Amino acid sequence: MEFERAGGECVSMNRVGNNDEPPLTAMFNNQHRRVLIVEDEPILAFALEELLIEAEFEIVGVATRLEKALAFIESGVCDAAILDANLAGVSAGPAALALAARGLPFLILSGYSPDQLSNAFAGAPCLQKPCKPERLVAALRAILPAQ
Amino acid sequence: MLRAIRSGEADALVVESDAGPQVYTLQGVDAETNRLRGEMLAQVSDAVIAFDSEDRVIYLNNAAERLYGIAASAALGRRRSKIYEARWLHPEDEAAKATALRDHGEWRGENVHVRRDGRALNVESGVTILREGAGQPAGMLAVIHDVTERKRHEDEVLVSEIRYRRLFETAHDGILILDPGTRKIIDANPFMTQMLGYSRNQLVGKELFEIGLFEDQAASQEMVQKLTRANQVRYENLPLESQGGRHQEVEVVANLYDENGCPVIQCNIRDITERKRSEEHVKLLMAEVNHRAKNLLAVVQAVAQATSKYGDPATFAARLSDRIDGLAAGQDLLVRNQWQGVEVSDLVEAQLAHFKDLIGTRVLIEGPRARLTTSAAQGIGMALHELATNAVKYGALSNVEGQVRIAWQITAAIKPAFLMSWLEDGGPKVAAPTRKGFGQIVIGRMVETAVEGIAEIIFRERGLSWNLSAPVENALA
Repeated sequence: MEFERAGGECVSMNRVGNNDEPPLTAMFNNQHRRVLIVEDEPILAFALEELLIEAEFEIVGVATRLEKALAFIESGVCDAAILDANLAGVSAGPAALALAARGLPFLILSGYSPDQLSNAFAGAPCLQKPCKPERLVAALRAILPAQ
Repeated sequence: MLRAIRSGEADALVVESDAGPQVYTLQGVDAETNRLRGEMLAQVSDAVIAFDSEDRVIYLNNAAERLYGIAASAALGRRRSKIYEARWLHPEDEAAKATALRDHGEWRGENVHVRRDGRALNVESGVTILREGAGQPAGMLAVIHDVTERKRHEDEVLVSEIRYRRLFETAHDGILILDPGTRKIIDANPFMTQMLGYSRNQLVGKELFEIGLFEDQAASQEMVQKLTRANQVRYENLPLESQGGRHQEVEVVANLYDENGCPVIQCNIRDITERKRSEEHVKLLMAEVNHRAKNLLAVVQAVAQATSKYGDPATFAARLSDRIDGLAAGQDLLVRNQWQGVEVSDLVEAQLAHFKDLIGTRVLIEGPRARLTTSAAQGIGMALHELATNAVKYGALSNVEGQVRIAWQITAAIKPAFLMSWLEDGGPKVAAPTRKGFGQIVIGRMVETAVEGIAEIIFRERGLSWNLSAPVENALA
């Protein structure tokens, strides 16, 4: 499926892009990698959860609303987050700022292209929906500090 | 006869008149003078006609023959009315002519001569009283200049002036006329004064940078330089402040024209604020459509993955297209409600559209008006779709008598909750499934996430029971 790599991918993928990604579960220690999922689309949140559990991440919560996302971040239970940029019409920008303020890494998963996103997300890797599962896992590993 | 006179073969001409015969000498010294005069007059491009005191033609030159379409032989001795009828442009002109002739012996003026063939000529005439040696009036000499063409042209110019002036006056674009030499405004149409809030007098004499169209004099100069090279310059997007401080986006098209040897610049200034706004809006909408489309593709991707992971590979395509059907029904509703939430009853009807004949008999729906958030509507919509699919395959809608009751309510507690239930009765005996399918995840964990609530699934022998409860603030818009 090489053609899927050619177009539509976010620029920031370049730093994690790698055609020889390791198998999802092998050779990577995900212990204590607690991830928060911020996604308003229930089915996508569920799919992310399934995917990340399979890749041996720990899911600390799924937030479909900004308030809930902020509550998770403030409670200090997560090491990283996956953010949908837009939560039913509400920007997830404040969640990005809250994560950045705590030095927590996060990546953006959005139907918007990077240039359409608010400045609050600047600097974070950005993946465009729909995103291949292995790319997402690789991107998430890339933002977490090596153990 | 005329040829005889012109060639000098005749010595004299006798013309019968009411006052008796008149003798015109054509030979001798007098005749030579007369002939010479005649030759000169014949060369004149204006029509020349001499009348005697009885208003009969005694002379007409070549130009008069041509102008009135009559040969000298046919005209000589005839009354003026046999050659043309005079009409007056203004009723008082006729009397003015008579007065002028009486008092001064001459008249100059403009009127219309209608030829015998009906053709009307606009003419400028000079009429002089001819006198005998003793000073007695002997007739009149008329020199007639045909101005029909000029008049027609003037009329056309007048019509054109009215027409194009009206365009200028009523245009809904601002129009400025500039002098390329001084770069100053020499005219501005009413719309321009309206756009800027300056009067025409305030605009005339100013340069474009002085009315805020360009930043400085250098920019104004640059426009004129560009114009002399290209004859037209276009600025797509210039900010313009009116005197009242209103900000407008304008498009300026400047043309350099030659106006009868004098160059002028015409600037058309169009307010494109609205157009800009609507372009921005369209751009925003397109980005939004793109975002939603990609989001939906991601949803389809997730549903496809889950459908393939949970369930028999042989029925994958059928199960997937059935779920895509459910997603499409949900999408329709969200769009119809402009992504501002969905009424529960609308959501139930949309997801149960296949069973609409059973609604009211085997499918009972009951609940108050309540508007779900977009996320809740998506989660509950998918759950209803899975419940309906399950009911028609294995549950209360798989036989001919089973019933489904769908109900929702909002509890009036300190922390109000949104409750929704799906209760099946009278279907085949139910046994709890041995392994968890995707449908069960959708009506369980997934919908719980969507509403931040709790979903309880009980496989009662007489029928499935599904109860969802969620804090109102998480589920309702």
